[in-house]
Amino acid sequence: MTAVLIADDDPDIRDLVAFKLEQSGFDVTAVEDGLSALAAARKQTPDLALLDVMMPGMSGVDVCRQLRSDPATAALPVILLTARAQEGDVEVGFGSGADDYVIKPFSPRELVNRVEAVLARTRT
Amino acid sequence: MIVVSVATAVLQVLITAAAILGLVIVFGRMVRRARSARRTRLAGPARRTLLALAAGDNDPAVVDALVQLSSATWWAIEPTAIALLGKVRGDAHSALVSVLERRGLARRALRDVHRHGAVRRARAAEVLGSLGHRNGVGSLHRLLADPDPDVRVVAARSLGSIGDPASATALLNSLVGPRPVPPQLVAHALMRLGPDAQSYVQAGLDHPEELVRATAVEVLGLVGAIASAGRIEQALRDDRSLEVQVRAARSLGKLGTRTGLGPLLEAVAPGRAPTLRAIATRALGNLGSGAAVPILVELLADPQYAVAHRAAYALLRLGREGHAALRAAAETGTPAAGHAQEALAILELEERRRDTTAPAGYSSASSVPQRVAGG
Repeated sequence: MTAVLIADDDPDIRDLVAFKLEQSGFDVTAVEDGLSALAAARKQTPDLALLDVMMPGMSGVDVCRQLRSDPATAALPVILLTARAQEGDVEVGFGSGADDYVIKPFSPRELVNRVEAVLARTRT
Repeated sequence: MIVVSVATAVLQVLITAAAILGLVIVFGRMVRRARSARRTRLAGPARRTLLALAAGDNDPAVVDALVQLSSATWWAIEPTAIALLGKVRGDAHSALVSVLERRGLARRALRDVHRHGAVRRARAAEVLGSLGHRNGVGSLHRLLADPDPDVRVVAARSLGSIGDPASATALLNSLVGPRPVPPQLVAHALMRLGPDAQSYVQAGLDHPEELVRATAVEVLGLVGAIASAGRIEQALRDDRSLEVQVRAARSLGKLGTRTGLGPLLEAVAPGRAPTLRAIATRALGNLGSGAAVPILVELLADPQYAVAHRAAYALLRLGREGHAALRAAAETGTPAAGHAQEALAILELEERRRDTTAPAGYSSASSVPQRVAGG
């Protein structure tokens, strides 16, 4: 089963995304901050990480940079989830090495499609 | 002796008051904790059903289950349902709206906009906006003049969310008067009203208040209201307010229409206000017309620093023709050469950056597109 790591400090979003991905057949691990996400990814590398940008302690962008700098997680596909839709914010997100960028409010169905697309792209 | 007695009495009163206050705080926290625990307990099983709905499941059974929940259980999960409303879009959002409407949320919000407490009114305004409830537009228009500034802000934002074009007039009028709404919020709400609101926003250009005209002209540029280009050009030429002229120049640059060139060239003439000249110069670059190159080359040597500096950046945006003009100016040894050299240095950096990221075979040379051919 494909493992997805979700990190979001908003319990409603975290539970919703976890619910939708589990419903779509993914094995989901959900954490509430950046540091926990980093620890979880290092403990057992998932197939994809879905990170909220604005999290207490360490942002999703910082987590993404840390993942990219570690050889064990450098190739991990990352999708950033954020309410920050400005061009500059998107640029910073992709600059950190993210594979995709989903803007809130989002369509849960589209989110699953994005996850599947990124996984398909990174597996080829 | 009397002093000691009085001091003792005062101390006793203070200690008693502190003890009562402490008890009230502890009791308040206990009540809140108990309410929260009750809410969590009640919400437990229903939360999963709500998540299924918010996940975009169009299962009528899920909708019915939520509509038929007991009042107590619904009370427990309603805050989550409202919170999710602002976080999802598409089918998931529509499904949530449908359930919330059937649970009477919009009806309650329409009642709450008249409540005495500002928090209740603001929350009601927020709910009407999140639901996209068109029947709430009239109430929200009234809340734009609410005594509480936060309520006015929420009302403006909600009108933007609902997207009724006719709200444009009320939003523009809310900019002025004894209880105004901040211009940036009004502008943002206006931008969300869609193309059908452009005629209402354009009508704002005839408003007697400068702030309304300035906001209207700026919004027209930001939403790309090409149909209003002629009226914006007129505002640049004839409006009595410099602020409106400046924003009209900026908007013409954003629109990029051919007809904008003439009014912008007039606006950069030496006799005009320095601020207007600087903004119009930049707008000439945004317009993307090669016909502006000769004037921009002249402006490179303008005695006003802001104008000369922006002329160089405007040429930078005009593609091959503009870059050639900058290279020629950089060789002249005149004051214009400094601005041209700075712009060319930036061009070089951009091209280097593009070359390192572009796929093989792609050449960045003169890749800045020209939006308007000829002019």
